[in-house]
Amino acid sequence: MRRILEGASPRARVLLAALGALLLAAPFLVDSYVLSVLIIVLFFAYVGQAWNLMLGFAGQLSLGHALFVGIGAYASAALFVHFHLPPWAGVFAAVALAVLAGSVIGYLGFRFSIRGAYFALLTIAFAEFTGIAVAHVDWLGGSGGLFLPVSNRAHDDLANLRGSPTMFYYVILTLTAGALALCSWLLNSRLGLYWKAIREDQEAAEALGVPLFRCKMIAVAISSGLSGIGGVWYAFYYNNLFPETTFGTSHSIELILATVVGGVGTLFGPILGAFVLTPLGEVMTALTEGIGIDGVKPFFWGLAVAAIVLFRPSGLWPWLYRLLALGNGTRGGPR
Amino acid sequence: MTGMTRRQWLKATAGGAAATLPLLRIARAQTSGPLRVGVILPRSGVLAGIGQDLYRGVELAGPILRDLGYPEMEIMEGDTESNVQTARAVAERLIEAGAHVLVGAFDSGQTTAIAQVAEQKGIPLIINIAAAPQITEQGYRFVFRNFPTAPTILSNAFQQQKEIFARVGAAPKTVVFMHVNDTFGTAMAGGIGAVMPKFDMPYRIVETIAYDPRARDLSIEVAKAKAAGADALLMVSRLNDAILITRELIKQRWTPQAVLSMGPGWYEDQYIKTLGKYSDGPMSFVPWYDPKKPLSRKLEEAHARAYPGTNLNTNQVFTFEALLIAADAYRRAGTTDPGALAEAIRTTHITDNVSIGPGIMFNEKGQNDGLVDATIQNVGGKLVVVAPEAAAVADPIWPMPPYDAR
Repeated sequence: MRRILEGASPRARVLLAALGALLLAAPFLVDSYVLSVLIIVLFFAYVGQAWNLMLGFAGQLSLGHALFVGIGAYASAALFVHFHLPPWAGVFAAVALAVLAGSVIGYLGFRFSIRGAYFALLTIAFAEFTGIAVAHVDWLGGSGGLFLPVSNRAHDDLANLRGSPTMFYYVILTLTAGALALCSWLLNSRLGLYWKAIREDQEAAEALGVPLFRCKMIAVAISSGLSGIGGVWYAFYYNNLFPETTFGTSHSIELILATVVGGVGTLFGPILGAFVLTPLGEVMTALTEGIGIDGVKPFFWGLAVAAIVLFRPSGLWPWLYRLLALGNGTRGGPR
Repeated sequence: MTGMTRRQWLKATAGGAAATLPLLRIARAQTSGPLRVGVILPRSGVLAGIGQDLYRGVELAGPILRDLGYPEMEIMEGDTESNVQTARAVAERLIEAGAHVLVGAFDSGQTTAIAQVAEQKGIPLIINIAAAPQITEQGYRFVFRNFPTAPTILSNAFQQQKEIFARVGAAPKTVVFMHVNDTFGTAMAGGIGAVMPKFDMPYRIVETIAYDPRARDLSIEVAKAKAAGADALLMVSRLNDAILITRELIKQRWTPQAVLSMGPGWYEDQYIKTLGKYSDGPMSFVPWYDPKKPLSRKLEEAHARAYPGTNLNTNQVFTFEALLIAADAYRRAGTTDPGALAEAIRTTHITDNVSIGPGIMFNEKGQNDGLVDATIQNVGGKLVVVAPEAAAVADPIWPMPPYDAR
């Protein structure tokens, strides 16, 4: 917490405390529809944080992050369906497999100097062919989908992640807070400084003795592992997985959009981006409901997102940070 | 830097939020009415075309059900944007806005997400289309499906092929199985491989050809199929490739005895419009309507008036029936209480319906297991039911008229 608040003005501390309190109390304050929107917001904030670690901190662009979420989702769901292994146990397999996939991609990319757009293509390719492979594995439900058994319970069963939306809300809130704390700690560590050096100028970093390969591999491993945990939550919340939608590129784009809009490379960018994009979609739905033209909402939503990216190319968070004077002047820029 | 002071920004934000909240509330206030039915369909995104076609069923239902004396319903529209997350949020929103019943949602993943919300909230969900068998295997008490499951669709297809062979007194001895190599095509190929042996079909598959549904040229695939010397083509395709394959059949002067399609493409309006007289002949095995039922005729007439030049199809038929089920339950329950409505839906017994089979009634799992698919044949630009015999309005044309003699 101390690290998160480092460099923050008193106003920022008050705002953060207020936001935290509001989020903790949200299930008691809002109706189930708003709660379901908040759940989506937090999911995108969490996965956005994981993706941000790879691009924003370490400078490695992944456009196939649905791969890691999907692997985590499928691994935990399949273990639950076939062996009744609770998600808290399945999460280890989920993380291990996601990290393994990330490490393979990272090894290929970094060992053979595949950079930038080509590295991004590599991540897309892995996500796509994993989706195709899963569609052919009956044990994983094939293209017909993997369904988790659902039942209405009188009480929340946290051990098996079976229960009410409120329970899922608190789980994803905890995950998001945890990811924020972890990223904050990493960002301020020696490793975080190495990542920043690599992101800014890889050759210069290498010349100064930064172990490029190791640092980048760690970034990919942590990012894919966190995404895998997100996948476990995703599988148990939605209870059905289809390879095309789980591993598809459109899902990958969906997962990173909040971070892009909020501010790549910042700690609070993914959270702010998620809090802007998802509610913006819901407001657009309300605004366009009476128009009666199919697809008008996504059209205007797309325009709004394009406008944000156009007018705030560094993301909303750096702009907001300066506008509200959230720093105390001891640090260079928004975190 | 920003062109805006902090104070201005805070005022603008507060103003925006204040303006937005009433908008959301207005949307809710507008949804008061008799029986509020939340119709959730993928009306934008990758499934937009299908979603909009499905909505035609909703537009047709209003006047017909009113004529039949069913009580008034208010439709609350929801767009899943072809996305599971949105589907779930839309279901929550419509329920919060006062929906008494939900209808949707075509895609099995999106439908599953909606079903969970419906079950948690105790609001009945009537599934118009979604074939994944697992949906009604979860022990849900508020989820009802009036659409056959994927295994039923496949089994019906083979049963009806045998019925047709018996009626025409002929059967192919060999077929070439061509299928798209996307997830749908691959799943169907797997399903056919598993189900076909149970039916002791008179033909054997001499060649299986998988191809890319986005291919621009299928001449090699068709030449390969022709060279196999098979009597008929067994197809799992989509629209564009169905058109390409037909053009190649004409070009390569090969008219198989039959084209037996177990997927979309061959019966779609665009196929018929594009190929004209060359679209005649293929048989498709699909969940369909019984043209002999009185309500089907009403629906056909209304459809012809509203959408001239197109054929009534599966999407519209089953969406129409979902609303019929809701209206019927409301009439019998006499209340909009969701629990009472669910109970009424559970005891549905509608025989004056449109789909093929004894009518609409649900088993203990909430599945209408009496539904029967149809075999439809393209004849003169129309889609004619040729099997099962109880619903058939014409005899199957066997073999297909040669392309070069049309």
